[in-house]
Amino acid sequence: MLAAEVGGQRRFEVEADTVGSALRSLPVSNLVFDERGRLRQLVNVYVDGVDVREHDGMDTSLTGGEEIRLVAAIAGG
Amino acid sequence: MSALLVGTRKGLFVLTSGDERRDWEVSGPLLKGWEVFHAVPDPRDGSVYAATNSFVYGATVHRSEDRGETWTRAEELGLPEDTGLTLEKTWHVRPGREGEDGRLWLGGAPGVLFRSDDHGRTWETVTSLVGHESRDKWNPGAGGMCCHSIQLDPDDPSRMYVAISAAGTFRTEDGGESWEPANSGVAADFFPDNPFPEVGQCVHKLLVHPARPERLWQQNHCGVYRSDDHGRNWERLEGNGLPSGFGFPIMLDPSDPDTALVIPEEGAENRVTPDSRLGVYRTRDGGQSWELLESGLPEPAWVAVLREASSFDDGGVYFGTQSGSVFASADGGSSWVEAATHLPPILSVEAADWR
Repeated sequence: MLAAEVGGQRRFEVEADTVGSALRSLPVSNLVFDERGRLRQLVNVYVDGVDVREHDGMDTSLTGGEEIRLVAAIAGG
Repeated sequence: MSALLVGTRKGLFVLTSGDERRDWEVSGPLLKGWEVFHAVPDPRDGSVYAATNSFVYGATVHRSEDRGETWTRAEELGLPEDTGLTLEKTWHVRPGREGEDGRLWLGGAPGVLFRSDDHGRTWETVTSLVGHESRDKWNPGAGGMCCHSIQLDPDDPSRMYVAISAAGTFRTEDGGESWEPANSGVAADFFPDNPFPEVGQCVHKLLVHPARPERLWQQNHCGVYRSDDHGRNWERLEGNGLPSGFGFPIMLDPSDPDTALVIPEEGAENRVTPDSRLGVYRTRDGGQSWELLESGLPEPAWVAVLREASSFDDGGVYFGTQSGSVFASADGGSSWVEAATHLPPILSVEAADWR
């Protein structure tokens, strides 16, 4: 669904110091974050395969070259 | 060409037909993955707007300028932090009047109204309604506290109506600066200690008659009602042929203010068509009597039609079921054809001029 919102583009290269600032620079940021700027509950974020909850969440630092993946959580029915 | 925009739990479908409205072609789904609570054409410029919701990505509005080939999404939509509320769902989009370039209205949950003046790119909260003095007496219905009906008076640019379940109907006569409850005579039977409160009524759908704008119709949790004075007073119209006052959709005849069609359900505790069949009930005398219309409708059938899932235009009446069928009538409801079947659960139906 996110890719469909940006004409099918599935990858973006951005420059950012943190995971949060990287995601906020995306054209789908208002789908990833709610109106209070919080990461939506059912959106999972991985940095090089590791859930950012195991790091510092949106404040997780980036040094360059990392791959961030957005994955919709398994929910619903 | 006639068209129906059919919002479903799994995207938007477009049904098209010639003016005879008998043979329909189904295309879609558009907006894959989104729950399309309502989709509506803007007659001013031909664009299409959709109130879209995702359990992962939240509530938003999409706009297409090319009949669904491509879509853009609202950039700014949310409630001010000082309201203490957050947007739960978008429910209903209403294009503004001719000459109000770029203006749209959007209803949502929890009981909120937004206005856009830039073709849906950004949305401003109507704070006079969000902060209404009666809000502490509003309660969510089974579908949340949804602002599902937005009706513009065709003659008076300052007058419009919204209906919220379960808060009731509200009327503004100053372009949305202030809102007055318009529920006099409308029952809230679920409050036995105060069955006619000023607010708190569970309106299921509200319509203004386009040719006689002082006449309003509503299908309510507690009956079918008509008002002939801009919603200042309401008359309960059930009985005289209606098997139940409970239902969700209501349809009108643009050329006859005395005609309305409803699809009753058995009741609040068993929300399915009564008597093991799908029946549309029509009045042609302002609600004094109702006749059952079932030609072309399935029997036996146990179905439900949601509040946004009916529509009408100059040439027909239409509705869609939660079980994924769309029915169309080109003779005011006297006979029906199944225009589509096996769609996902249908949330909304809106007629569109697709020339």
